[in-house]
Amino acid sequence: MTVNLDRRSLLGAGAASAAAVGLGTAAQAKAVLARGVKKADFAGAVAAMRKVVGDEWVFADPEAVAPWRKSYTPDPYGKHVPVGAVCPETAEQVQAIVKIANQFRQPIWPVSTGKNMGYGQTTTAAPGQMILDLKRMNRIISVDPELCTALLEPGVTYRQLKDYLVENNLPLWIDVPTVGPIASPVGNTLDRGVGYTPYGEHFMVQCGMEVVLADGEILRTGMGSTKNPSAWQAFKWGYGPYLDGLFTQSNFGIVTKMGMWLMPAPPVYKPFVIRHKKMEDVARIVEAMRPLRIANIVPNVVLMMGAAYQLAMFKRRGEVWDGAGPITDEAVAKAAEANNLGMWNTYIALYGTEGMIAESEKIVRAAFAAIDGEVLTQEEVGDNPWFHHHATLMQGGLNLDEIGLARWRGAKEGGGGGGLAWFAPVAPAKGSETKGQVELAKEILGKHGFDYTAAFAIGSRELHHIIALLYDKSDPAEEKRADDCYRELVTGFGERGWASYRTGVHAMDLVAQQFGAVNRAFNAKLKDALDPNHILAPGKSGIL
Amino acid sequence: MKRIILLAASLALASTAQAAQKLGEVQAQRSPEQVYAAVCGYCHGRNVGPVIRGRGLPAETVEYMVRHGQNAMPAFRPTEVTPAELKALAAWVQTSTADPKEHGR
Ligand SMILES: Cc1cc2nc3c(=O)[nH]c(=O)nc-3n(C[C@H](O)[C@H](O)[C@H](O)COP(=O)(O)OP(=O)(O)OC[C@H]3O[C@@H](n4cnc5c(N)ncnc54)[C@H](O)[C@@H]3O)c2cc1C
Repeated sequence: MTVNLDRRSLLGAGAASAAAVGLGTAAQAKAVLARGVKKADFAGAVAAMRKVVGDEWVFADPEAVAPWRKSYTPDPYGKHVPVGAVCPETAEQVQAIVKIANQFRQPIWPVSTGKNMGYGQTTTAAPGQMILDLKRMNRIISVDPELCTALLEPGVTYRQLKDYLVENNLPLWIDVPTVGPIASPVGNTLDRGVGYTPYGEHFMVQCGMEVVLADGEILRTGMGSTKNPSAWQAFKWGYGPYLDGLFTQSNFGIVTKMGMWLMPAPPVYKPFVIRHKKMEDVARIVEAMRPLRIANIVPNVVLMMGAAYQLAMFKRRGEVWDGAGPITDEAVAKAAEANNLGMWNTYIALYGTEGMIAESEKIVRAAFAAIDGEVLTQEEVGDNPWFHHHATLMQGGLNLDEIGLARWRGAKEGGGGGGLAWFAPVAPAKGSETKGQVELAKEILGKHGFDYTAAFAIGSRELHHIIALLYDKSDPAEEKRADDCYRELVTGFGERGWASYRTGVHAMDLVAQQFGAVNRAFNAKLKDALDPNHILAPGKSGIL
Repeated sequence: MKRIILLAASLALASTAQAAQKLGEVQAQRSPEQVYAAVCGYCHGRNVGPVIRGRGLPAETVEYMVRHGQNAMPAFRPTEVTPAELKALAAWVQTSTADPKEHGR
């Protein structure tokens, strides 16, 4: 595929041509101010913010805000477009910005590195917000090689942290979400994201925060507020109510520093893939995997990748399917076979000494031999781009291979694609849960003409169903269909008690509804108490 | 097993193209090569996005693409790739020669 890089169409003709080259509808939508905020308030806030961070780090006219408007998520009605961006370099500047936001009632939406791709990037749940872009705050404050901990500012990417560790010969690993190079430990952890080493559950290995509150005060959690905060990154719980959780997937504060634990590099690392041939095998895989995960014989967050998801990473849809409607299981199976993939490809790794790994490997092999799983090592798989990708991830390596997903659909001469919304319902890790979920997902996706491109992940006792809703964002009708489809997924799964662990800005209120009125009212009370002017990220997780 | 350890080591080495920062300091301005290795090069040339080196792409097109993100490409904000870094990067991409090791689609 070639990309249309015709300069005239890009630089000359404005909105119409921008749509034609696939910048999406929201990229041209007119941003509206937040309710109750007048033009003069917005102008006042912008002028005051310029005094704090300098003219060049406040962005308020539509063209200048363009980089913050880009998102993979559907926004057919232009409801999620930010009105501006402000980019501080210190916590003191953040405090000053919060005061200005209160004064002018101008809401601000914090992001760390803003690469929440498939969840909204730097767009917002409710309209009229300025993005509080913390990427410039990218100091690695400390790394303790003995305790294996780090303290970071929000703008530090996984790549920056990895470079630091490598260059200083520190034998510590990082754990990355699939898009590590451009994303951040702080942003990912605050949205309760995951990776694929034994430290894959990121909030579990977070330790201590510094938070700018809506009144401009600075709060330190855990041991950070004591006279000797040397245990800040060593002990998570501090004293009294545990506060850190309040600042994840929420809008109760702006995190300006975060502590985290790092895994010591193991002497030996050995990745495996386990292949199964049939769609329905996933139930047996979950049953076999659960005890291994709970007993920590398999120590990492496990991905069971469906063949269609794997194909979508490196293939364009037209290469494997040209029929009407969603791709069939038969077509997926045929393409999987041709590419040395199973219908399910389960990636695990073992970490430790040769002896430890040999013992665990015996147990793993026996468990999967019993359910007709083909257990393969690097040597046995040979040169396989999918194995290479997952073997990289399971050791905290960096790549962006999976961005190819956003080109599965709609790839054509001159562009297309660029639509991706993650739907991620949670269930207990029981095989019996998978059948109903797969059927329901296929039914709803199919109704709207979309493919079932999905994976399952087991953290410990829970099963995440990770469904990539892939669509062509350069086609406004398809963007609208994707939005409708996503809503039906949330409510359809919600009726069966399967609610999401996380969602994009386009569906935050709807997902909050699945968790019930009492929980919503509780969050609303906290919000009123902590942020009475509702200036921090209104709409995040359905909390206004 | 040795091969696996070697693989891990070579992955680690591959990421040193960017000079690491000092503790407590923000990232200093990076060269075009460093930005390309730390951001663009993960997709362009690795079968995720199209090859962009050695095509004489006009610098202003490159700048526009980076800030807006076309189709599946994310947009990169001035906080991620600074205005000075982008200017140098775009000029570098325009005059770059093709790298035969890169593959695009
Ligand atoms: C192909 C692909 C694969 C992906 N794979 C994974 C994966 O394996 N695991 C995974 O978890 N995600 C995955 N993602 C989703 C997403 O890209 C990552 O989670 C990414 O790490 C989030 O972006 P970020 O780190 O830049 O966080 P940000 O975008 O900076 O932050 C995310 C959100 O957290 C809140 N927040 C951020 N910083 C602050 C702060 N300082 N104070 C208060 N609130 C804040 C805001 O609501 C913000 O919108 C994937 C995306 C794609 C496209």
